Amino acid sequence: MGRILIAVLALAGLPWSAMAADNTSGYEIRYGVEFGFLKTSGYPSWTTGFVGKLRYDNDGAVFNRAFVDYRGRFGDTINVHMVLEGYDDDLGNTIDFTEAYVEWRPMPKSATRYRVKVGAFYPRISLENVDPGWSNRYTQNSSAINTWVAEELRTIGAELTVSRRPESLGGAHAFSASVAAFVANDPAGSLLAWKGWSVHDRQSRFSDKLPLPPLPQIQPGMMFDDQNPYVEPFKEIDGRVGYYVNGEWRFGKKFLLRAMHYDNRADPRAEENGQYAWTTKFEHLGMQTTLPGDIGLIAQWMIGSTVMGPVMNGAHVVDTEYDAQFVLLTRAFKGHRVSARYDHFEITQNDSTEDDNNPEKGHAWTLNYQYSFSDRIGIAAEWLSIKTHRCSWEYYDIPTTATERQVQLTLKLRF
Amino acid sequence: MLLLLVTQLWVGPVLAGMLHVRVVGSDAQPVPNVVVFVQQNGSANINAGKPAAAIMDQRDKQFAPHILVVQKGAAVSFPNSDVIAHHVYSFSKLNRFILPLYKGTLPDAVVFEHDGIVTLGCNIHDGMLAYIVVVDTDVFAKTNDDGRVELAVDDSASSYEVSIWSPRIRDAKGHLVQTLSGDAPGEMTFALEKKLRPAHIDRLESVAWDEY
Repeated sequence: MGRILIAVLALAGLPWSAMAADNTSGYEIRYGVEFGFLKTSGYPSWTTGFVGKLRYDNDGAVFNRAFVDYRGRFGDTINVHMVLEGYDDDLGNTIDFTEAYVEWRPMPKSATRYRVKVGAFYPRISLENVDPGWSNRYTQNSSAINTWVAEELRTIGAELTVSRRPESLGGAHAFSASVAAFVANDPAGSLLAWKGWSVHDRQSRFSDKLPLPPLPQIQPGMMFDDQNPYVEPFKEIDGRVGYYVNGEWRFGKKFLLRAMHYDNRADPRAEENGQYAWTTKFEHLGMQTTLPGDIGLIAQWMIGSTVMGPVMNGAHVVDTEYDAQFVLLTRAFKGHRVSARYDHFEITQNDSTEDDNNPEKGHAWTLNYQYSFSDRIGIAAEWLSIKTHRCSWEYYDIPTTATERQVQLTLKLRF
Repeated sequence: MLLLLVTQLWVGPVLAGMLHVRVVGSDAQPVPNVVVFVQQNGSANINAGKPAAAIMDQRDKQFAPHILVVQKGAAVSFPNSDVIAHHVYSFSKLNRFILPLYKGTLPDAVVFEHDGIVTLGCNIHDGMLAYIVVVDTDVFAKTNDDGRVELAVDDSASSYEVSIWSPRIRDAKGHLVQTLSGDAPGEMTFALEKKLRPAHIDRLESVAWDEY
């Protein structure tokens, strides 16, 4: 608990005079603290080195996060965006960055807008995590897709976005296209293949070392015994440049569609300092719309592959394909919000490597109610149930099908 | 100017000097927030007064109002009621300007010397959108929730050219004109044939359309 206090105090020690921002200065700062109570059941969590899909092991009081989201403006066209997250666990520094980048926003001279980001930032995937601190607006724990994005993906490079203002194309249609080139992030895929999909609210920071389950093949004398018992997802290993392209179409505030092709172009045989490079590719499709009755609908779909190691018998020694979808319905009423999400996820495997059986299949239900007393204080109640069948759990003599559940009450403070 | 005669209803001379304009959509529903302005031909005291000053505020990361109509030559001030900074720009050919709204001081008002439609954006918040409609007349207003507006006109004019404009209207690129010749103005209806574009919504919705 001492560390929580240090984290909160350290974050609070940042200039309070700038709190909540004011328009006489060139920057905005948002602070957030989230904590509460929970009751959980299931396997010991992956965050403590086992296989559980959820974040917490113990019932009772829990400190979810503290964050600082800073946006500075330099001159008319340069923005700096940095996000610090503080956690009470042993996976990295107590406080560390999740994002840090510079954005150049030249003044538009026509209906075409250009934006250039350079630094470390989330790829444009999540439609849930739209608030300061990459906070999920709808639920406490993000969908399987966006939980994986939070665990293992960060674009460390540059992104160019070109967009057309809506009125230039007949009032309501807006188009935008992004292309990004990035280095690092080569181990991305390790956790997805070896641990599987998860549903939680933890975002990896740059210093984090995320534990792997005690897999047979990473034990001494086995095929991947160079692998540390943890993953450092944002390391550069092979010196290759990856890319993604993303397109978006928006029709007023009625419909949004985004589609991405992502390929980290990592060398699947590269390894350095106990971390392997995984060739991770996927296609992502996201859509959002408002249904009659002002019910918001968000859906995302991701399908891809991640492979590592040399090719044996026609497949890489770890050769997995993955597929996940979710549908979320949400409705806001003044300060209240009710949301429900269904996740489905799957991993299949092309290799026949012994003692490395990674396929899984599962689904999750998440129900959330939140109420904001003001802009600064909100509460949330969330029920989450995730049922998974995962082949590799047989190595630990536990049932390979399990349902894990969590109920939590969270106090959310914003400054 | 595009001349397009849609449906015109005469309800005889109603109130001398008052022109009643109604805009209805293709679904027969009233269309609110449509700019209506009148050119009075042959009137002795056209545009006599000094153009009235106007305000385009920024509130909750939205321009307020979404559509502002002013007379040519009017000075529009841009206060910022948000606690966050904005950076307003227009790239309209004849009324181009940039206004950083984070210096803590109210910038000088912008004087709009050319008539036409000025599209505003914020370079910090890409979702912000507003229009300033600069018209060469002092007879203008916007339709109410019933799609109606009442305009005081000079009944000595020989004819009235009544224009409507809205970013939602798809007929004739959003700009429709009807001319009334003759003595007393009355009531006229613009019945649109094409479906409207979706309205710009600036209230909180169930889903977020603009990322932080």
